[in-house]
Amino acid sequence: MDKSTIVCRCEEINVDEIETVIKMGATTFDDIKRLTRCGMGPCQAKVCMNLVNRIIHDNTDKPFSDLTPANMRMPLKLTRISALASSDQTITSVTSVFDESLQEVGETNREE
Amino acid sequence: METDLLIIGGGPAGLSAAYEPARHGLKVTIVDESLRLGGQLNQQSQVLDLPSGFAKQTGMKLSQFLQDRLLNYDVDLLTKCTMIGTYKDGRIGVTDGNTTFSIRSQKTIITTGAAEDSISFPGWTLPGVMTIGAAQILLNREKVLPGKKAIVLGTNNLAFEITKQLNESGVEVIAIIEKESTVDVDADNIAYLKQANIPIYVNTSITRARGPGEVEKVLIDNNGTEVAFDVDLVCIAGGLFPILEPFQVLGCELIYLSELGGWLPKYDTNFETSIPNTYVAGNAAGITAMKAIMLTGDLVGISILDSLENYNSDYVKKRKDSLWTELAKAEQPEVWSARLSLIKEFELERKYVTSNR
Repeated sequence: MDKSTIVCRCEEINVDEIETVIKMGATTFDDIKRLTRCGMGPCQAKVCMNLVNRIIHDNTDKPFSDLTPANMRMPLKLTRISALASSDQTITSVTSVFDESLQEVGETNREE
Repeated sequence: METDLLIIGGGPAGLSAAYEPARHGLKVTIVDESLRLGGQLNQQSQVLDLPSGFAKQTGMKLSQFLQDRLLNYDVDLLTKCTMIGTYKDGRIGVTDGNTTFSIRSQKTIITTGAAEDSISFPGWTLPGVMTIGAAQILLNREKVLPGKKAIVLGTNNLAFEITKQLNESGVEVIAIIEKESTVDVDADNIAYLKQANIPIYVNTSITRARGPGEVEKVLIDNNGTEVAFDVDLVCIAGGLFPILEPFQVLGCELIYLSELGGWLPKYDTNFETSIPNTYVAGNAAGITAMKAIMLTGDLVGISILDSLENYNSDYVKKRKDSLWTELAKAEQPEVWSARLSLIKEFELERKYVTSNR
């Protein structure tokens, strides 16, 4: 395929940029995300994740069962800061939503 | 907010899952990000094959029926509400766009359904290129023609069904493009396409979509020969995959099974995931047909009743058995056997972990 084809439409990352970082040693979606911003736009990897995993598969012969989905973080959908701030009495502030997030999940993935 | 049973996603699986628990007296809360419940049913004008007890009907009609039958029970319908996270104590964080609140539940069923896979090619980000499901939403829900002249990329039964609807609504479908050498589609769909004069090009891919600001021309590679079509609509039919975000933030274990649509949460015979009291049903538990989507919803609802001391009656046990029998018959053999091996392996794994503790 034409190397200039866009893969991540939110951040406008093309095939060439993804293949370049794979050559540099990226092996997972999250590696590519950190190196290129692929998947970091408004859709949060919803459109490009499988496309990127297919490119990794084609370039490295890694089976799809080794290509874990992108790490997801809260909030899961676009949310206004004002909506996070004006919560009911059980949540007292914006920070409670972020601080209480299951950070262990993110930490574990980061150590890989 | 507190509830007995929280359901994330009010589509066919979620609405089916709600019914038996609600009918037996559980307080049920359904959260859905759309303005109205029913999920993908709301734009399905095709007639669906459904579980026993349901006449064949369109998705649109079914959506209304599934909602109406919950009206007499203690069911809270939170539309335009989205699950955006979780708390350490298990509460689910939900926003309605203006404020954020938490829901504490005894049991949670996640029925997020599926998203459409895309296929990339030069020019696929131009306006006029969309997934086939998006074209159906424009056509049947928004009552807007997605284009005048279309090309469909990819072949599957859903794509053919929507191609038919586009054709009947006055969108001229110029061609269907398939990169493989064969097409796996029902005979009556093939017959329809023949009669409607819609050609299928196999061994073919899109080289480029072009146009100033929107699609005007599509170049295809048909067995090495380049052909150009003047179209203003390209529908990508890349198939479906389970939506995982809620399972991921809850920390559910995932597994990759291509027969079930890729990555999905592991679950046991009660559709319970690796996180206790968190269940899954519908396309999120493996991509399947509408009949099976509803049956897995029914099954998770009845399994939850069975797990509760005051509700595990003879009726519940019998109903559970008959639903499993019906599901076995309803599913494609490869989907059914992938589902069974997923359940079996997960239960073995869990037994091993428990015995080594």
